[in-house]
Amino acid sequence: MTTADLLPQEVSPWALRAGLPLAAERLDPVAATANHVQGVIGALRALDFAETAPAATYFAGEEPADAAV
Amino acid sequence: MQPYELTLAGAAKAIGAGGLSPTELTDSYLERIEAVEGQLGAYVTVRAQAAREAAARAGRDIAAGRHLGPLHGIPMGLKDLIDVAGLPTTASSRVRADHTASADSTVAARLKAAGAVLIGKTHTHEFAYGLTTPQTRNAWAHDRVAGGSSGGSAVAVAAGEAAFALGTDTGGSIRVPAALNGVVGLKPTYGLVPLKGVTPLSWSLDHAGPITRTVEDAALVLDVLTGQQPGDGARKFERARRDPRGFDEDLTGLRVGVPANYYFDRVEPEVEKTVRGAIEHLAWLGAELVDVGIPMTEYIQATAWGLMVPEATAYHERTLRTSPELYTADVRVLLEAGTLVSAGDYLRAQRSRTLMRSAWAELFDRVDVLAAPTVPCVAARSDQETVRWADGSTESVTDSYVRLSAPANLTGLPSLSLPVGLDGAGLPIGMQLIGRPLGEATILGAGRAFEATRGDAVGLAPVAAG
Repeated sequence: MTTADLLPQEVSPWALRAGLPLAAERLDPVAATANHVQGVIGALRALDFAETAPAATYFAGEEPADAAV
Repeated sequence: MQPYELTLAGAAKAIGAGGLSPTELTDSYLERIEAVEGQLGAYVTVRAQAAREAAARAGRDIAAGRHLGPLHGIPMGLKDLIDVAGLPTTASSRVRADHTASADSTVAARLKAAGAVLIGKTHTHEFAYGLTTPQTRNAWAHDRVAGGSSGGSAVAVAAGEAAFALGTDTGGSIRVPAALNGVVGLKPTYGLVPLKGVTPLSWSLDHAGPITRTVEDAALVLDVLTGQQPGDGARKFERARRDPRGFDEDLTGLRVGVPANYYFDRVEPEVEKTVRGAIEHLAWLGAELVDVGIPMTEYIQATAWGLMVPEATAYHERTLRTSPELYTADVRVLLEAGTLVSAGDYLRAQRSRTLMRSAWAELFDRVDVLAAPTVPCVAARSDQETVRWADGSTESVTDSYVRLSAPANLTGLPSLSLPVGLDGAGLPIGMQLIGRPLGEATILGAGRAFEATRGDAVGLAPVAAG
């Protein structure tokens, strides 16, 4: 566990803030999975992005060909 | 030989020559499904009567001189994330128990217009969020995983239950099950095949593409998926088709990159040996082998998760609030945890993706194709959770399956997985050929050359009627 990891009791308000109420029995497994995910994606903080823009795209006036449901 | 044993191209040729009718072909597939489906679980639903009616219509049209092309009268399976008007799109989930698609997805409409016969909808790992497809068993060893998430599609094709099928691929979900079941899977360039009407997992990483028995067949299906009428996919594919190498068996002039790092790290010895042997075969056909370094490998998993996890949660936001108990446990907890990924982390992943795309573009200044294993190991036992590697490290089966396929999703590059042999236990091994953006013709050409000269590498899975 790192200092950035969420404790199960911390998961509830953060999830609620993101729009998802979680029952008490969900807090332990969700905290464990969220901390695992964060442990993986946290590696990106080591990158120096300088002027790099995000890859997400937007098409003004045209529906993208990859539009999903 | 039974009709279901023909490749798509072989069946199309027989239909075109009048030696085989769509009804005979469809009946052969339905009999095959009757014989083996109980052991495999590839299909969510089989539409026997509707398929027979569609085949009869195709037969009448062809007899009347209205032959629509090579897919006319050919039975197919569609992954059950793909909308077909009037049918449920279950996503292999209880969440979709009451779903009925109101319209055809673009890909289903294009296949229908080409005369393909829908024989059924195939299983996916629930909402494509996983790499095993637990409802379905591997076509070559029923105690092993099908791979996923397009496991049903790959098994159906491998076992002779469909002439071809469609899958979707967000981190490897076409190529992984294709490799594990000894069939061909093509993840096209991002955006080439329209996803309208296909249930998303992660918008920025999702692709749809064919699963077939041969590379030649994959090219035939891709032709239809990209659309023959004016449209975005068609315009792009016109560029993709202009490759002077075509489907020749001589690969002279083709520069094949051989990864010096990453793609052969933590790979089963038999997989490495077989794939390296296949790469040597490409050299024997005239290709020049070029050692290349793979960029930014330490950020591949982080970038993939940073994009996929929050995007998947965003799509499922409403049902996660109203009926979370309907999801399976592994998918539910991932979706719930995804609410805790910050916008800052998501943007870092998107910026990392920009860097990765640039670095891979430089790599493709030196080569035309990159050749590598599709997955680092053969199909795992169904109860196996981890893989232990020679360096002493342990990895989850899912992480190992996605490790080598995810870079093509992040970069959007086309990637073709084709069978290149069996291991000592008789389990299939796949090699992937990654190309430049819209370089489908090049990877299909190289794959076709391999197939035409090593066509004995893998055949239909030996599933006995039971």
